[in-house]
Amino acid sequence: MEAATSPSHLTEEEHRRQRFWARARHNLTAYAFLAPILLFFLVFMALPVVWLFYLSFQHDGILAPARFAGLDNWRRTFSDALVLKCIGNTLYYCVLAIPTVFVLGMIVALSLQVVRRGAALLRIVIYFPTLQASLVVALIWTFMVHPDFGLLNLGIRALTGMRINFLGDPHFAMPTIAMIEVWKGLGFWAILFLSGLLALPKDLYQAAELDGAGPIRRFFSLTLPLMKPTFYFAVIFATIVNLQLFDSVFVLTDGGPVNSTATIAWYIYRSLFTFSDPGFGATLSFVLVILVVALTALQTWLLRERVR
Amino acid sequence: MSATNTRGVDRRQFLNLVGGSAAIPCLLSAGSARAAGLSGKITMIKGPHSADEAKYEAEIIDDFKKANPNADVEFTTYDWANMNAQLTAGFASGSPADVEYLVDLVYPAYAERGLLQDMTALVDDPSWKSERDAIQPFAWELAKSSKGTWGVPVLGAVYNIFVNLDLLNAAGVADTWNRSYADMMAAAKATTKGDTFGFSMRTRVSDYAFWDWFPYIHNAGADILNKDWTANGLAGAEDAMQFLIDMHKAKVTPPVGSIDWQGQFDLFKAGKIAIYHGETPEINDLLAAPPPFKWDVAYAPPGPKAQTVMGNFGILSIAVASKNKDLAWAFIKHWASGPEVGRFASEVNLQVVRTDIVGQLYRDKPPMQKIQKEFVPRVKGVQPHPKILTMLQQIWPVAESAYLGNLTGKEAIGQMGDIINKLAA
Repeated sequence: MEAATSPSHLTEEEHRRQRFWARARHNLTAYAFLAPILLFFLVFMALPVVWLFYLSFQHDGILAPARFAGLDNWRRTFSDALVLKCIGNTLYYCVLAIPTVFVLGMIVALSLQVVRRGAALLRIVIYFPTLQASLVVALIWTFMVHPDFGLLNLGIRALTGMRINFLGDPHFAMPTIAMIEVWKGLGFWAILFLSGLLALPKDLYQAAELDGAGPIRRFFSLTLPLMKPTFYFAVIFATIVNLQLFDSVFVLTDGGPVNSTATIAWYIYRSLFTFSDPGFGATLSFVLVILVVALTALQTWLLRERVR
Repeated sequence: MSATNTRGVDRRQFLNLVGGSAAIPCLLSAGSARAAGLSGKITMIKGPHSADEAKYEAEIIDDFKKANPNADVEFTTYDWANMNAQLTAGFASGSPADVEYLVDLVYPAYAERGLLQDMTALVDDPSWKSERDAIQPFAWELAKSSKGTWGVPVLGAVYNIFVNLDLLNAAGVADTWNRSYADMMAAAKATTKGDTFGFSMRTRVSDYAFWDWFPYIHNAGADILNKDWTANGLAGAEDAMQFLIDMHKAKVTPPVGSIDWQGQFDLFKAGKIAIYHGETPEINDLLAAPPPFKWDVAYAPPGPKAQTVMGNFGILSIAVASKNKDLAWAFIKHWASGPEVGRFASEVNLQVVRTDIVGQLYRDKPPMQKIQKEFVPRVKGVQPHPKILTMLQQIWPVAESAYLGNLTGKEAIGQMGDIINKLAA
């Protein structure tokens, strides 16, 4: 009886059927667990993206009934000088902010790694700016860069006799925004790099030390290569986040002076809510999506082999 | 949508039907209900003009409820910085506030999309004639387009100049300093010394810098749009623009964009700016905490065509989606009435557009009285074009560039005109 029901006595057809149902049960269980997040993803991510794409071929559609616009919004996107300016500004900001925050984050992470006393407190202090609301950060820095009594300008004036118009000069405004964002993000990146550093195998360092490798040699020959998976994640994540720069621009400069801090996310907001032009705003949103996907794909392609 | 849907009964209509059948017995006593006044609940949304806005609104609402015990008004606010986003979200939701306080810069875009009730018939009602006539014609012009009247003008802020009389006197500047652009430039130069600036005006778009720019443009006989709103109307403003550029080039102002509006006002209060472009609500601050110098309010110098004052006014509108427009209109009439709007304006230091209460306002605040009596009649506001805010936002980078010395007045006005032409087309 037992032998008759043993899997070894099942026919090929019964085997196939049981395999099918086992796999189906397995998959259904997986989908059942995934269902809440899939539903969330569908309602709050996929549907809005589809709706946004639909809006990019319409005029209005939010405050008034949508009217078919054909490719008008897309044509306008590529002929609007401000769109190109915004793309350029956003990329310029990324070039300024991402390498800077990575270098500084790594230096802070390496420093934290060797601190023994008060390490926890130091990590909290360094992470603290990341926890601040963008508005608070913007207000703090408004005072820091103020031409009359700002701490930075007081120092610069003491050294050079001049003061810098940080937010009012088109040449300084975007670097100032980048500086503020670096300050705000430094804690996050430092802690991320620190977690990567702490996970590195100690025996390799001991062997290298025995072989006479100094700290600099160890950093370039061991730390950097071993940290590549962390950097891989960091570069892609930082690019995606920084391409969406909005908060500090909105609060500190509102895209000025002379559109020198106008970013794509800022222009999307303006198009949607100030210019009441949701079709154009939706099109710009898609331009941002395309830019993010393209840059992420490029980075993935460039970094993948090296990480392996 | 439900009002025009004849194919079926939607949820709202269903609820109305159910409510209606339940209300049949009540209709029998409709006469007595009418005698007791209007009933129902509406909402009102407005940007705050004071930290005590809710308290002041409650006073108005309480007075309204005394006359209409069965009516209720819920007051909510939007914040000025995100006004467009919050109003847009409200309208897009399909259930915006019944009564909307909208400023002249933003309401035209909503009116154009059919979101505001055309109030022409309401304001032209003969029973309201005396009230309508009490409101100044310029204010009505700001509330109208060729397609209708979109609200009742109630309040406004005037953009005036504040002068530090002590600084002017110390520099030997005569009180004729604002008779001409040349006099103003001379006064600014004479009072600029060390870390004290002779002149300041807003330059950032985030500070709505165009309010300070407008009087110079209007005084030159120019405006954003021409008379029929088909193209830009900036021709003639080149010299005025050049004057403003020259003021910045002369280094009598804080560096362009370096100090925000609040920062400039703080510098004025500290006695570090002689001629400061500000706004009338700031008078309250100066009266509450008097600075250590004598000050006064003033106009910008006259231009070749006029001497105007810039003002930014608010109207009370009814949302098309409102389900209780009768109550909304009754509340607007109450809010706009002399005693109510007068008390509110006094509480928050804003200008009224009614002529019949001017004599009673600001008796204990001479600068405010001067603004109300002398400045308000000279107001030339914005043209309520549906894209006026877009136009101003988009031309402003050109003005910033010009103030920084990158463009001449003629070039700046030319570039601004091109931007406006594209948007007006």
